[in-house]
Amino acid sequence: MTLLEFARGPALQWSTIILVLGLILRIAGAWLLAHDKDYSRPRVDAAWRGGLRAVFSRFWPHQPFVRQTWFHILAGYVLHVGLFVVVFLYAPHIAFIRDLTGLNWPGLPANLVLFVGALTAASLVAFFVRRLVHPVMRTISTLDDYLSNLITLAPLVTGILAYAHFGGRYETLLAIHLLSVSLLFVWIPLSKLAHVITFIPSRFQLGAWLGRRGVKA
Amino acid sequence: MAVDEKDFQMFREGTQQLASMAPPSTMPDERRVEVAKTTMLAKLTADMAFELESCVHCGQCAEACHFYQATHDAKYTPIRKLDLLKRVYRREQAPLRWLHRLYTPDVTIDDLHEWQELVYDSCTECGRCFMVCPMGINIAAMVNVNRQAFANAELMPAELRALEMEQGSGYSLFGMGPEQVEGFLTHLRDSGVNVRMNESGVDYLLLTSVVEIMIFRDALLATIRVLEHLGLSWTIHCEGYEAANFGMLSGVEAVQKVAGDRVVRAVKASGAKTVLVPECGHAYPSLRWDQANLDARGQDFEVLTVSEFLGREVEAGRLKLRPIGKGKKVTFHDPCKLGRHSGVFHEPRVVLEALGVDFREVESSQELNWCCGGGAGVFLLNRASGLRQGAWTIKQQQLDATGADSVVLSCASCRLNFMNGARAAHWDKGIESLVELAAAQLAD
Repeated sequence: MTLLEFARGPALQWSTIILVLGLILRIAGAWLLAHDKDYSRPRVDAAWRGGLRAVFSRFWPHQPFVRQTWFHILAGYVLHVGLFVVVFLYAPHIAFIRDLTGLNWPGLPANLVLFVGALTAASLVAFFVRRLVHPVMRTISTLDDYLSNLITLAPLVTGILAYAHFGGRYETLLAIHLLSVSLLFVWIPLSKLAHVITFIPSRFQLGAWLGRRGVKA
Repeated sequence: MAVDEKDFQMFREGTQQLASMAPPSTMPDERRVEVAKTTMLAKLTADMAFELESCVHCGQCAEACHFYQATHDAKYTPIRKLDLLKRVYRREQAPLRWLHRLYTPDVTIDDLHEWQELVYDSCTECGRCFMVCPMGINIAAMVNVNRQAFANAELMPAELRALEMEQGSGYSLFGMGPEQVEGFLTHLRDSGVNVRMNESGVDYLLLTSVVEIMIFRDALLATIRVLEHLGLSWTIHCEGYEAANFGMLSGVEAVQKVAGDRVVRAVKASGAKTVLVPECGHAYPSLRWDQANLDARGQDFEVLTVSEFLGREVEAGRLKLRPIGKGKKVTFHDPCKLGRHSGVFHEPRVVLEALGVDFREVESSQELNWCCGGGAGVFLLNRASGLRQGAWTIKQQQLDATGADSVVLSCASCRLNFMNGARAAHWDKGIESLVELAAAQLAD
């Protein structure tokens, strides 16, 4: 078995299994803790509406916070939208998913995806530097934050290198790229990157809690 | 409507003596750590777990916190105040606890001592941080869990310990118990105020507070005037008259329940359908939201704060107010516990509109309003005076930007903190009570 065969086969399969099972464990483990019944009279019925609203409204901060949090808005949107574009709108990725699932959709031109990938990588570098230099972020950062940043950056960098055929044989570069994706898949459920899924219940509970009190989250 | 300076000064001096009145704690350090951790684990819910699982350490909460903004000291970053809770959760309850234990240090007595300032002195549980958090983490609620853990470990600030012990043991506060309160109310009645005491079969149970009796008597008189003007049946009941709850503020749930239960007993004794909470920020959520959960059953009475009551009466057309006129330029401060925590935004504005004043909304208002810096008992902590004043400066700037001549309040704790802050900063704008303004304009 070549390195590429390993990366395409067992590495990706097992890391995907770990990703799915790990996220289920993270969600289930939290869910199994106590659910306190709220006996107080709600100001507004159907608190779930407030919860649902918060899941979406927290994609953008309230107006008074926009100026103060501009870095997070800018870098955060570049990072998250960039990752979506690179993962789901790059033709070879779409082909890979099509082979696995049968689903297919049109992609974007490779050069455009490459540009977006570079921007996305730059946003991660910006976050990394800000963690090092901003007093608040430096104080509250943990090893998880730095490793999560680097492990998310790795598939972007290796992907760009593979696309450019730069730094080695294409098969080797592609294998390294796929292995870095596998590493990310394993890391997500072990780290703060689990927020890819936990942000939903987290936002929902605050929105519902405030919603039954008549406050918009 | 003027506050007697001597009363205010006496109250301030009284708060400065509080710390010396608290009995020293003799709990061994090992026991403190154990008790704190056990309390945290008992109080952690699934909702909190999701929140702790979701934090990405972005630090945006610092932008919303008046204590961080006033000091620019990163240790006051709101999410950092939950570090101990996070560590206990990760080591003991998180799905990946087997992994977290390898690199997450256990909580020590030194940690508890260091974090005491973070969960008491530098957090008013105002909740502005949860309004900015992209993950929706309710930091204020979890700081309260920390307070409960610290309180059970007898690590709360001495001022709060003195008051919660006084309220828990004998129902007095600042040395003022049921006898003194009954004496005060009798004195009021003798001087011509129609104080209704210990009546039954009424619709409204009116609460008061030691702060109202000691300093803001005009607010109590104003509330009584409105109730009488509306011809409502009401009473103050000596079984449960105190709205303030130092069990809630200090984190001692047992005392919070004792104080709340007294009100519930007064509701039963009076037959009231509605509890009217005076201008007291924390008293409202304690009775409106917490008490039913402490009782673990639904309440068969309604809880209204006085600004909410006034607004409803105005909207229903039962309470008519004579307009003051646009010459009076006012702004309004939404108390965090009434606004952001309880949704009372509309009603006080209805009252101000009925008063016909030139009302100027602050920038970043209502659920995004800046806290005054004195809530959740912080006003009483002597060592927090610097932090408090720094936070109040932000409030002052927010108010000044409106161009208003005075700020209207509906919370006695905020009012105390405003008076204190204004005095230190030589701020010369008016600080007024909503119910006093309304009672002065009752239309025939």
